[in-house]
Amino acid sequence: MITNKKPRSSDTDSNYMRDDRTEMSEDDDRSPPSDSIANGSCPTRTCTPGSGSGSGSGSSSIPEYSAPYPDRVLENVLENVLWFLTSRKDRNAASLVCRSWYRVEAMTRSDLFIGNCYAVSPERATSRFTRVRSVTLKGKPRFADFNLMPPNWGAHFAPWVSATAKAYPWLEKIHLKRMSVTDDDLALLAESFSGFKELVLVCCDGFGTSGLAAVASKCRQLKVLDLIESEVSDDEVDWIMCFPDTETCLESLIFDCVECLVDFDALERLVVRSPSLKKLRLNRFVSIGQLYRLMVRAPQLTHLGTGSFSPSEDVAQGELELDYVSAFAACKSLVCLSGFREIVPDCLPAIYPICANLTSLNFSYANISAEQLKPIISNCHKLQTFWVLDSICDEGLQAVATTCKELRELRVFPFDPREDIEGPVSEVGLQAISEGCRKLQSILYFCQRMTNAAVIAMSKNCPDLVVFRLCIMGRQRPDHVTGEPMDEGFGAIVMNCKKLTRLAVSGLLTDTAFAYIGKYGKIVRTLSVAFAGDSDMGLKYVLEGCPRLQKLEIRDSPFGDTALLSGLHHYYNMRFLWMSACRLSHQGCQQIAQALPHLVVEVIKHEDTVHTDDYADTLYMYRSLAGRRHDVPKFVSIL
Amino acid sequence: MGRGAASSSSSSFESSSYPSVSGESSFPQRKRDLSTDLRLGLSISTSQQDNPSTPSEQLMDWPPSKPVPRKALDSEENEYCSSTLFVKVYMEGIQIGRKLNLLAHDGYHDLIQTLDQMFNTNILWPEMDVENSAHCHVLTYEDKEGDWLIVGDVPWEMFLPSVRRLKITRADSL
Repeated sequence: MITNKKPRSSDTDSNYMRDDRTEMSEDDDRSPPSDSIANGSCPTRTCTPGSGSGSGSGSSSIPEYSAPYPDRVLENVLENVLWFLTSRKDRNAASLVCRSWYRVEAMTRSDLFIGNCYAVSPERATSRFTRVRSVTLKGKPRFADFNLMPPNWGAHFAPWVSATAKAYPWLEKIHLKRMSVTDDDLALLAESFSGFKELVLVCCDGFGTSGLAAVASKCRQLKVLDLIESEVSDDEVDWIMCFPDTETCLESLIFDCVECLVDFDALERLVVRSPSLKKLRLNRFVSIGQLYRLMVRAPQLTHLGTGSFSPSEDVAQGELELDYVSAFAACKSLVCLSGFREIVPDCLPAIYPICANLTSLNFSYANISAEQLKPIISNCHKLQTFWVLDSICDEGLQAVATTCKELRELRVFPFDPREDIEGPVSEVGLQAISEGCRKLQSILYFCQRMTNAAVIAMSKNCPDLVVFRLCIMGRQRPDHVTGEPMDEGFGAIVMNCKKLTRLAVSGLLTDTAFAYIGKYGKIVRTLSVAFAGDSDMGLKYVLEGCPRLQKLEIRDSPFGDTALLSGLHHYYNMRFLWMSACRLSHQGCQQIAQALPHLVVEVIKHEDTVHTDDYADTLYMYRSLAGRRHDVPKFVSIL
Repeated sequence: MGRGAASSSSSSFESSSYPSVSGESSFPQRKRDLSTDLRLGLSISTSQQDNPSTPSEQLMDWPPSKPVPRKALDSEENEYCSSTLFVKVYMEGIQIGRKLNLLAHDGYHDLIQTLDQMFNTNILWPEMDVENSAHCHVLTYEDKEGDWLIVGDVPWEMFLPSVRRLKITRADSL
């Protein structure tokens, strides 16, 4: 049994792709079981028959017989045991133990997660893992969502779908985030995987309703079709009509981001013949009257996303008189409500019957006031997740704080994301939330003004915070009461919130803020920085102080080559580093590329920037076993 | 050296003098395209871009929030999408008017400066010192209800959704 485990020193989130495991397996190829016992090195959970007196249980009379190949037996056992190992981290660690464990782990991994589609080639991944049932791929970095990346940068699904089509014909689930997916890709997917069950596309683009039609018509076992924040072009194909006429296996159908009309009658019939449907999120082309009809057909729903929460333009006869309250009341299992696009607030009282059961409520498309919110939120005692627009103002947040004692996640989005306006939410709302919602774990808060005091209060009142993302929309705005930088507030967060792994900072920040992060943010994995810092020291503090840092995205901050070079020891442990509009020179980036051969260093040019040869517009770099990619667009140079 | 070093920024939204981040020309910048104004030969936008102390205009990629899809407001004159709000501006006595993008301005001071330049005049408004009122003008606007009001009484953000058009009238004709 293997006794020598060599954990990677600073990297518990060890990437399964680390190539240096070869050196490890030479060192500690298994010692025969008897040796390990003689050494008494560590408790051997040995299961091979050849081990004789295992853990001193007294059964020493079992004669040692030569099992066919101890390896084979061991592997069989491992295989059976490792099937139960589901956590990616555990599997990665297990695969590093020795060659045998590596092999068995590779055979038993059924969920393949690839955090950066360019970190490994599809061929390499599919040849290592042979029995995969589910593939998760992430492509572009997050800043691409905010126009910081030119279009057609990459992250194409095509090579992955063709590799997996060959390697895993039994594939059941594909989950993509920020990938470019074409209709051809979807058609190939639909053709290749006969037992396909789940397709989840988050922030993807490049496909249209014809691709959806292919999936709907060919994937007869489809349980989940979730399209979340993706751009879907209207190919004038009614994909809802393409689902087979028979009963479907559908459990989840989410298409609120699809900006195309669907035939409502076809949708209604689909819902009727989908008895397992639990999650349904409609797009804004479904009116409230149509929603009523669907709810009546599907009272078993647990997750509902309304379409446009207002009567249709030409109000169908009697639509306004429908008994929405009863329809909602009949959905006794509803725990998650969202949608409410184009809301007519008068329609809101319809949801009163189910408020008490709700654990998740998404009002982030609903421009409602505090007064309109209060009657609803005052009943939402079980609410754990709440997304809302800042139109509810500090007063609305105070109402949330009064009632929602179980709140775990809060997101407050700006209705009007400009910089110079007064802004309806402020430190007052944040303070109220921190006092009322002590179990808060995750917060995303957009505001125009903030104070250190409120942030410090949150750091003390909400010790369970794992995610703290504060976006003060005015760039480099200080504490609006004291005029001080926001250093102390963010410092308190990293100091007091011991579970914090994700942080986004904003407002006026000096290097001091980064010193705090480097000193206290020992388990921070994701850090997002914009318009902050004074000098290279800021970035240095972070790169030198945060050993768990995986994803670092920085824009418009004065960090230069010296700072970049200070992270050389760490870049192989990271998924990526993004730095745009900073002070990086091409030479500096080149130095990194030369020092770290397994790092892909991309310099991305933006068309509409004032070009200087001195500075690199955008640096995006990531570790990779695949080397430079072959689909590099013209505006990217790989150093 | 830091970018946009912290100057004393007033927290009053009226003066809105937040430190500029677009001043340094050696920095890669992505600016909004104001070329429609430039093509008409107006001097408005160049004065904003060249002067590093004017607050920078709206960035297209900041803040990092995807816009809430909402129905466009139904006025034909005002294009109130998230980046422009063009309104007609007439000066008393001149038949041909101009058009101006209110959203390219940060507040009343900025607007007045632009109009002063556009129409080569001095516009009075409530907070200014009256030096020579005889030859000055006053800025008025027509709101959604069709009423004509003096510009400057309400906060800038309340003004924007309600303004339909502007008119510069002589101070002594009020």
